[in-house]
Amino acid sequence: MTAAVMGVAVGCGSSTATTAAASGGSKPTLVVYSAQGYDQAVVDAFQKSTGIPTKLVDDSTGPLLAKVAAEKSNPQWGVLWTDGDEGFAALDQQGQLLKGYEPSVKFNAAGQAAVPKDQSYIPTGVTMAGTVVYDSSKTPTPPTSWQDLLTPAWKGKVGMNNPAVSGPTFPFVAGMMNLLGGEAQGKDFYGKLKANGLHVFPTNGDTLHAMSTGQIQVGLIQSSAGLGAAQTVKNPNIKTAFLKGVSLLPGVIGIDGRAPAAVQSEAKKFAEFVLSPAGQKAMLNGAPGSDSLYWPVVQGVSPLPAMPSLNSVQYQTVDPYVWGPKEAEINSWFTANIAK
Amino acid sequence: MTTNRLAPSPVTDRGRAALAPPSGERPGDRRAVAGLRWTGRAVRLLGGPLAAVAVGLVLLAPVAGFLLVAISPRMFGQGSAWFSVAAFRSALTGSTLQALLNTALTGVGAAVLAAAIGTGLALLLGRTKVFGGGLWRLGIWALLLAPSYLEALGWTRLVEPDGVLVQLFGVDAGWLRSLVMGPVGVIWVLGSRGVPFAFLAVSGVVAGLGRDFEDAARVHGAGLWSRLRITVGMLAPGLWAALAIVFAEAISDYGVAATLGADARFPLATFSLAASVTNFPADYPTAAAVGWLLMLLVVLAMLAQRAATRGRSYAVLSGRTRPVSQAPLRGWRSAAAQGGLGVFFLLALGVPTLGVVSASMLGQFGALGAHNFTFDNYRQVFHQSALLAPVMLSLRLAVITATVALVGGVLVARFLARSGGKGRGKAAGLLDLLMLGAVALPSIVLGAGYIFTYNLPLMNTLGIHIYGTLTLLTIGLLAGALPAASRLLVGSFSQLQDSMLAAARVHGAGTVRAWSTTVLPLVSRGLLWTWLLTFADRFLELPLASMLYPPGQAPLSVGVTKLIVNYDFGVGTASLVVACAGILLVIGLALALFRLLAPAGWHRLEQR
Repeated sequence: MTAAVMGVAVGCGSSTATTAAASGGSKPTLVVYSAQGYDQAVVDAFQKSTGIPTKLVDDSTGPLLAKVAAEKSNPQWGVLWTDGDEGFAALDQQGQLLKGYEPSVKFNAAGQAAVPKDQSYIPTGVTMAGTVVYDSSKTPTPPTSWQDLLTPAWKGKVGMNNPAVSGPTFPFVAGMMNLLGGEAQGKDFYGKLKANGLHVFPTNGDTLHAMSTGQIQVGLIQSSAGLGAAQTVKNPNIKTAFLKGVSLLPGVIGIDGRAPAAVQSEAKKFAEFVLSPAGQKAMLNGAPGSDSLYWPVVQGVSPLPAMPSLNSVQYQTVDPYVWGPKEAEINSWFTANIAK
Repeated sequence: MTTNRLAPSPVTDRGRAALAPPSGERPGDRRAVAGLRWTGRAVRLLGGPLAAVAVGLVLLAPVAGFLLVAISPRMFGQGSAWFSVAAFRSALTGSTLQALLNTALTGVGAAVLAAAIGTGLALLLGRTKVFGGGLWRLGIWALLLAPSYLEALGWTRLVEPDGVLVQLFGVDAGWLRSLVMGPVGVIWVLGSRGVPFAFLAVSGVVAGLGRDFEDAARVHGAGLWSRLRITVGMLAPGLWAALAIVFAEAISDYGVAATLGADARFPLATFSLAASVTNFPADYPTAAAVGWLLMLLVVLAMLAQRAATRGRSYAVLSGRTRPVSQAPLRGWRSAAAQGGLGVFFLLALGVPTLGVVSASMLGQFGALGAHNFTFDNYRQVFHQSALLAPVMLSLRLAVITATVALVGGVLVARFLARSGGKGRGKAAGLLDLLMLGAVALPSIVLGAGYIFTYNLPLMNTLGIHIYGTLTLLTIGLLAGALPAASRLLVGSFSQLQDSMLAAARVHGAGTVRAWSTTVLPLVSRGLLWTWLLTFADRFLELPLASMLYPPGQAPLSVGVTKLIVNYDFGVGTASLVVACAGILLVIGLALALFRLLAPAGWHRLEQR
């Protein structure tokens, strides 16, 4: 009764679910779940270019994946688009993604590194996890290796985000474990970092604030956050450095494996559009102070001028199928032992 | 639901109002009167069950859906077991157990603190003429609007190493830092956020108390303290309502848990719960088990409430109640009152303001410096045309939710208040528990519950397609608002004596007239406050909105969060401030209109 009354009052009754609008010969609505800063710009450009009705649900990575998990018995999304491929590997293992599809584009080396074997998701751009962000006016000589961070010179001067709160921090934590040879070695490294006075903050904003007040001198955060910070507050002294072995953090698109064929075909068009010159233009202009600061994964597209050359970064790739399933366990270990 | 013959429920009234002939009953037309009576009886008989079913659909189904996940993960595709208690085992071990204990401790602390301060404020502003009374009341509203995380942020910025205290006063108070960054800080922030709830719950009762009882005590020679003791004793329904609501609100708060709690390494249950859901793969069974345990805490709180108010009647509001007289304060009493109010509001409002200033007016990520101060972010807010549609949507949602919650709140409050007087019925106890349980469940849980329940393939088979629509978002917002709205109204309704309605009926007034001339004037201010409170609270609601908003139709809170997440902290916080200022304006206007337009009689009992 109440529901009916409110349906009238709010003036909306029809479902916007991917499956609901498939009747009458018209194009079904494509629903895009995304955590990317430029998503609205890309969705608008896609809709304009193809005429496919597209609707966006934007949220942070964590809550968005929580919503996807809650909808597991009856998914409402056609396209899922976030930074970090660990979640996608886990979704793939649960059989939720469309396998065997990649747009016919020429991926560059970083792009190829991020394509999974079963082609269950599509890379759209890359950033780096756990870069060294510092203020060169206060810290003229930043650390140059991961082991540096454990020396007395950096005691109490390093900060990072808690991976249980900040989505793009898990790839950094997992990346260090991968780099050092395993989970145990990685945990040992974070234990030593903590013993050397590591500060753990909830999110990027808190870590950057701590850096600007001088509580810490170095923040270990995602490259787009550091490069974006320099632009947002117009301070060219805020620099982002890439230590050897920094982890590649791909932004990827997954397609709902259980969506109707018509919706899956629209989702494929969406992925193709994102990697097309028009789509890349929308991605590069959609969030210039944050997520647009990425390296493209298709050949022939240049990143924004603020980006350093990808050739100068000695990055590693992290297998999401190994580390994705460990995310919950590692994050609760981190909260209980390192963030404590 | 049972109905009371003497005083029909408002549903019945409305049913009759629609059917009654415009000129009232004419003695000749018996058949029509008999017909009307029959319809009225039918409405009376069916009204209760229908309301119960509606409340059940809105509240019970999703909460039950979510809680079922804890014991039967497979039912909702969240695991392989049809029945398992593994989720409880993981919720009752290690850091999650510690978080639950911390939550119980801070919940009790916050409730006691808020009830004490809220009662003090209600007595001070309701029964004395304190200088700047209107201003202090506005302060309470402002307090209600400031999100808990802003106060937590303000405290952090104040006491952090190289923070505001150091920069401005050169004081590096380590002891204050360790005090704030721990249980004491969390209790203070949660408690001060709860003060408006406590104040509203108690001040309704204070206004209805009249001065008769105090006069009687005075005649018998009671001094200030004895009179205060008697007054506080009679405030029990409001006081317990305040304790229960603040406790439930405090244990479900996430803003403080994710900021101050996390910074202070003081884990709270909502933080563990959110972490188990937002980490991949999402662990809904454990989150649901934590939800069960939070509800258990509420049951314990309610048992305490029941033990304290059992078998007593607090019906003090009768036809003979005379308006409260506000005693002027002089000398040291006035100074003490002003000082106390000043200190409280300085801490409770000044600190969040500091958080706001730091986050939205200082460039360089909130670092204090000579040339950092800027209004740039505010200028940008008014150039964000992308926020216009979300503002209008949130406005619409908040108005509808507040209005429906008010109607539902009145029904529930009357039901609870009436059965309370006659040895509380089982149905009322269950409803009360359910409502408070819904408050105690963090919004993310409620949101997930709605998705689980209304996104089941079974719902499609039944032809119910409301997930992903504004209808479900509105229902979700309503479910979040209804418990608080009813709780706030219970205080006012439990004071009403049936004899007034009976008297009106004896003198020939119809049910509508009897209700609108006796009950409505007495509760009008409570109704207005409840509406405004719900409106303000729902306008910027985030966790439910972000889980349930229809694709392509983002409410304001979601839009603002997107700004903040994309490192535009300054503009994001500035738009929050502008939104809060807008809400305060609406509240000020509504209160002014009430004063101007409501019949003079309505003010008599409520006058200040």
